[in-house]
Amino acid sequence: MTTRPRLKLGSHLLPGLAAVALFTVMAAVFLQGNFPAPAGFGEGSVLRSIGMAMFALEPSIPSANFLVAFEIIDVVLVAALVGAVMLARREGNDSSGSVRTDGGRGDDR
Amino acid sequence: MAGPLEFAPAIAALPFVSFVIALFFGRYMPKKGALAGITATAGSLLLAIWTYFTVMGNGEPHTEHLHTLVAVAEPFSLELGILIDQLSALMLLIVTLISFLVFVFSLGYMNDEGETGLPRYYAGLSLFSFSMLSFVMASNLFMAFMFFELVGLCSYLLIGFWFREDAPPSAAKKAFIVTRFGDYFFLIGVVGILATFGTSAFIGTGGTESFPALAEHALTGSADHVHTFGFDPQTWFTILALLVLGGVMGKSAQFPLHTWLPDAMEGPTPVSALIHAATMVAAGVYLVARMYGFYALSPTALAIIAFVGGFTALFAATMGVVKREIKQVLAYSTISQYGYMMLALGAGGYVAGVFHLTTHAVFKALLFLGAGAVIVAMHHDEDMWKMGGLKNELPVTYYTFLAGSLALAGIIPFSGFWSKDEVLYEALRLGLNDPVFMAAYAMGLIAVFFTGFYTFRMVFLTFHGEPRTNIAESPHQYGWNMKAPLVVLGALAVVVGLINMAPLAKLTGMDLTYLHHWFENGGELLTVEHYHHLLTEVSGVHHVENSTGLMLGSGALSLGLALAGVAVAHVLYNVPSPEEHTDKLGSIKTVLFNNYYQDEYQVWLAEGLTANVARAANTFDQGVIDGAVNGVSSVSLFAGERVRRIQTGVVTNYAALLTVGLVVLLVAMGLLGGWF
Amino acid sequence: MIAAKYYLLLSAAVFCIGLFGILTRRNALIFLMSIELMLNAANINLVAFSAQHGNLSGQVFSLFTMALAAAEVAVGIGIILVLYRNFDDVDVTTATSMRW
Repeated sequence: MTTRPRLKLGSHLLPGLAAVALFTVMAAVFLQGNFPAPAGFGEGSVLRSIGMAMFALEPSIPSANFLVAFEIIDVVLVAALVGAVMLARREGNDSSGSVRTDGGRGDDR
Repeated sequence: MAGPLEFAPAIAALPFVSFVIALFFGRYMPKKGALAGITATAGSLLLAIWTYFTVMGNGEPHTEHLHTLVAVAEPFSLELGILIDQLSALMLLIVTLISFLVFVFSLGYMNDEGETGLPRYYAGLSLFSFSMLSFVMASNLFMAFMFFELVGLCSYLLIGFWFREDAPPSAAKKAFIVTRFGDYFFLIGVVGILATFGTSAFIGTGGTESFPALAEHALTGSADHVHTFGFDPQTWFTILALLVLGGVMGKSAQFPLHTWLPDAMEGPTPVSALIHAATMVAAGVYLVARMYGFYALSPTALAIIAFVGGFTALFAATMGVVKREIKQVLAYSTISQYGYMMLALGAGGYVAGVFHLTTHAVFKALLFLGAGAVIVAMHHDEDMWKMGGLKNELPVTYYTFLAGSLALAGIIPFSGFWSKDEVLYEALRLGLNDPVFMAAYAMGLIAVFFTGFYTFRMVFLTFHGEPRTNIAESPHQYGWNMKAPLVVLGALAVVVGLINMAPLAKLTGMDLTYLHHWFENGGELLTVEHYHHLLTEVSGVHHVENSTGLMLGSGALSLGLALAGVAVAHVLYNVPSPEEHTDKLGSIKTVLFNNYYQDEYQVWLAEGLTANVARAANTFDQGVIDGAVNGVSSVSLFAGERVRRIQTGVVTNYAALLTVGLVVLLVAMGLLGGWF
Repeated sequence: MIAAKYYLLLSAAVFCIGLFGILTRRNALIFLMSIELMLNAANINLVAFSAQHGNLSGQVFSLFTMALAAAEVAVGIGIILVLYRNFDDVDVTTATSMRW
């Protein structure tokens, strides 16, 4: 028999009040603001427009050129993958040149 | 060739050069620095003689500005300068002469006796000569104070010369501390004078006047230019004079600051001769004479000076009667004779005071050097009861010592008679008008009897009778380097009285008061006439008229008392085997021998009274002041200790703090920016 | 079209829910999920203003933000693995060595 999960309430929820306070402040600010009428995106598929806008292929679409950012985010993703793999690698006894990340405890796990 | 007064700084600079040479190179020299000192003081002596004759011809005193220490105009600037006038020329002569003779004597006393550490000794003597000569030539009170202190330091160094034994360092500390106690009041007085008058110069130069002149203007005219701090000018000047007197009493060993001088005899005898007989203790009296234009304005201060002087003369003379060691008798004699000088200055007898200063310097240095010769002969044993019959073995010493003793006792025609007689005469002339001075005169007169007694008790015990120990039978002989200064001083002790034989001048009508004439010249504010004018016009101190009968009567009275004292000593001690007659005084002798318990009293003051105050002050300093500083730092430490606990290491806490901070910022900016 | 301020309100709500999760949850993986929520709230904000101004760079930028969020989560999971290895627990409140 297992028991159903219960919502854990207690004093550890107290810091959450800071989040609630932040929400009230932001809500108070936003609800008072008045924006002009929103402009739409014109006719046609928005997705297509996004693709054209990303590489500035169609000058009539108002956007910035994100070509350089596209390339860089590619590099960032590769770096993230490599980093994640490196962090997750289990240190072996015979692995040469590996960085020991065990916080100096010195024993193998 | 420039006039000799241009070379006046050299008089003090030469001993300073010999100080440096003796200190650094003394150990390589054959006599360990003695020859450097002898040449330096001989040079200073020649320059002083030349200066003396130049001043004799000049009318105005010579002042020279050497160096400015602090050059602000308001409220005062501190300068070093030289003042050469009749008084300082005379004193320069005395100091350089005695200094030179002491250096020569030291060759015999220290070098020939095989003492060690001599470079330090000669360096100390040279430094002392430099500071004493600079003190004499000082042109303002601040500079005089500087060298007053330096002289005290040299005394400390020299008394404690044999510092590896117990007594000398203790005696040196006592001398320094007791004089320093007096100098504390002196310092306050100097600061007071600077603050009151804006200058501490003894003589006016160019645009500025000297402070005695300013004081006189304040009393006779208006007191606008001096700050008297809310007091009546007369009262304030008296206070200042008494403050400076504190230093004078310390340095010149007057009651109650006299306790250091007998203990200072722990130093080598040439040091005692130079410093504690002729020069350093004279510094106090010289200072009063230098500032006499200021002291003459305050009859209260003069009365106190005279009374203390007369009292000290009697007080010390009674203690000298029962001492066993020859140097102790001379030490108490010095205290007593300086009492006479203070009595003279207090009674308005400026010439008498300086005359006695001169003659005393000569015969007391002679007596100390003679005592040194005796001590060397007795293999450094000072107890008179172990001596006896030395006159046959040490004739030169005996005759010179006898000359000095006759001068000290005040027997005609030796120098001491003329000067002491003049002192007592001046005191009598004032005492007939004023009971305080009469009491001082009486005490000085009684002290004449005791002086004659203890002096000749000392002479008879040491030189007459049968030798009481083996050493006395065949004493250690010594050479001409010790005999020559004795002979020189012995001759001087006989003749130096000739410079001012007032009674003889009155009797014969001849003009024999050379010293009085010497002081009639000089800067207009530094002459005897001016001081007399101040005393009678400004202070209202009136002497009885100068009459021949009174002078001869007082002279005969003091001479009679002195001869009576000598006769009593002759009867009691000039026998082949004298006994200790002073034992018959019983408990009085105990009191006298223990110096009226003044030393114990002062130790009690220091330990019982001052130490407790000092302890309380120390507790205050460590508890309150240090506590405040430590408290400030502990606030910082404590605060840091507590504040660092924010770093709990739990990430969610940091996030919470971030959020709270963001909320607060937003609310603040919103309220200020009108978002709501 | 819905007015922009309701989008902003939604974005603020999602952000604060994510913040609430960071402040109160102790499991490291839930922590990461909350971070994701906050990132997506920012995305909503970007898109809302892109619709408000009619400029498509907001939406394009939000794509990049998403890619960056993915990279960050990948590295974050790696860090949590190392954390587990060292402290034997994914509770973020146990890893408190760097404290006073």
